[in-house]
Amino acid sequence: MKKLLIICSLFLLPLSLSAQAGGGYGITLEHANNDLRDQASLQRGAVLFSNYCMACHSIKYIRYNRIARNIGWSDDEIMEKMAYGQGRVVDDVETRMLPDIAKGVFGTEPPDLSLMSRLKGEDYIYTFLRAYHETEDGTWDNTVLKGTAMPNVLEGIKRHSTEEEYEQAARDITNFLSYVGEPSKLDRLDLGWKVIAFLLLMLLLTYLLKREYWKDIKH
Amino acid sequence: MSDHNDSKLVAKNGTLLGWFDKRYPLVSTWNVHVGEYYAPKNFNFWYFFGSLALIVLVNQIVTGIWLTMSYKPSAAEAFASVEYIMRDVEWGWLIRYMHSTGASAFFLVVYLHMMRGMLYGSYKEPRELVWLIGMMLFLLLMAEAFMGYLLPWGQMSYWGAQVIISLFGAIPLIGPDLALWVRGDFVISDVTLNRFFALHVIALPLVLVVLVFMHIVALHQVGSNNPDGVEIKKYKNDRGLPMDGIPFHPYYSVKDSMGAVFFMLLFAIVMFYAPEGGGYFIEAPNFEPANPLKTPDHIAPVWYFTPFYAILRAIPDKFLGVVAMGGAIAVLFAMPWLDRCKVKSIRYRGLSFKILLTILVVSFVILGWLGTQPATPELTKLAQIFTALYFMFFLILPFTSVNEKTKPVPERVT
Repeated sequence: MKKLLIICSLFLLPLSLSAQAGGGYGITLEHANNDLRDQASLQRGAVLFSNYCMACHSIKYIRYNRIARNIGWSDDEIMEKMAYGQGRVVDDVETRMLPDIAKGVFGTEPPDLSLMSRLKGEDYIYTFLRAYHETEDGTWDNTVLKGTAMPNVLEGIKRHSTEEEYEQAARDITNFLSYVGEPSKLDRLDLGWKVIAFLLLMLLLTYLLKREYWKDIKH
Repeated sequence: MSDHNDSKLVAKNGTLLGWFDKRYPLVSTWNVHVGEYYAPKNFNFWYFFGSLALIVLVNQIVTGIWLTMSYKPSAAEAFASVEYIMRDVEWGWLIRYMHSTGASAFFLVVYLHMMRGMLYGSYKEPRELVWLIGMMLFLLLMAEAFMGYLLPWGQMSYWGAQVIISLFGAIPLIGPDLALWVRGDFVISDVTLNRFFALHVIALPLVLVVLVFMHIVALHQVGSNNPDGVEIKKYKNDRGLPMDGIPFHPYYSVKDSMGAVFFMLLFAIVMFYAPEGGGYFIEAPNFEPANPLKTPDHIAPVWYFTPFYAILRAIPDKFLGVVAMGGAIAVLFAMPWLDRCKVKSIRYRGLSFKILLTILVVSFVILGWLGTQPATPELTKLAQIFTALYFMFFLILPFTSVNEKTKPVPERVT
């Protein structure tokens, strides 16, 4: 835990409490092009999230075993790959940062990311993750969220991999967070057309019934 | 039309129905309201929305009961309990989306239902009371929706309620104390959430259901209007039944079933494939928990309140804005007396009414759009113009409707 703290502290940035994203972000957001049905991407995203995000962020509205069930892992697998054997599989996915420390280090509480994909959208997350750039005084800033307290966590990946791999990593994290935003989304999409098909059949039947009853009414 | 009377229910002695009917007016109630309720045979598309509103009401009550089983009405737990429903409760996401989509569907259906009343003069004598009860239902529905919107305890829930309750504060003398009394606190807080929950799940639904009952009883007392705006009771056959009427059951029960299924089809498409309604049914800032210290950049009410919200913002003075917003709703109550034309249906009314009604509808829709937008000086100017046009309808109508150049009304339905 201390190591993580030190790493995080290294990225200490000029802090801004007024950092707030409004309707316009100043730049056009790139399309995330993520795919919720791509389980391999979700699994990579979960591992990346655990390694690069959970040091500071939680996704406390979802449990490990729910994630495992939805992205094709066993309970043991998720505990090994995402939780590193810490805690229980029924636990909510909490941050590894100790309470109150973030406030001291960053001057702000890193937000819970459970609903970030629904609050800001997938494209926002995807663009934000890749929008870091070096400023003139040698520190980092983000074009999407200027003055953000969040360090450029994906810098290591950017340096040590190809542009495609870097983009894919951002896309996988986005995909994972999109899944976390609404874990039942695929259930919803897969159930919807069945309900609609049933209702179409019902519409035909009720129409025929109506026609039968009304055939002697002149109107 | 003798063959239409086979739906009359008769209770025979010695049957279970007979046993009940001796002790409860089962058969007569059924016959008055369903089996022998004669409705005009020429109902068109616009006449589906009454029964659809009833279906949405049932949907809201049933899904609401199930939501209440897992929802926690406390500032500390409300937001998390909604996410618990969305994630951990079996079928919770479906129940919640049915309820949230249902809220928007309710207003859509009710607005169209009211539009029908305007088109065919359904508020006119002898149906003034049906209209008045309906307007009370509309007012209550707005209160119900407003209080329900606070319950998820998201940012827009919180700040939307903050804006609306602060309006009470604009009333001279008693305003600040009244706002304090409504909130039960100096800011929107746990106390406010608790009382809104009580009102949303018990008080208002009870009154709504009673008023819906009265709305239907009042309607059945005077009989339904129709697209021709002629009274079907004027021409009766030798058995005393309206010649242009048909029993509600089975004719309209099967027709409304078809309408209900078609409505459910549209409802399902939205609920399964666009439950957020493009950010209009569930607003994005509501995915962030309420934070009293952080005001959202742009506070917009849900779409069904935006026409009235635009009127509120159009008036530079806060109190007068509140008066205008209240007046925009109140003036609808007076429709039966503002419209002095004897002809009911727009089919036979003069050009002046058609033009005026078009202006009203266009103004209402544009105000609705303006209410979703940030108030820039240009848009505020636009909102002022359409607020004026909205009220112009009600100001001019009493004068134009007296000497309206109407077309001859047919004796019987066409």
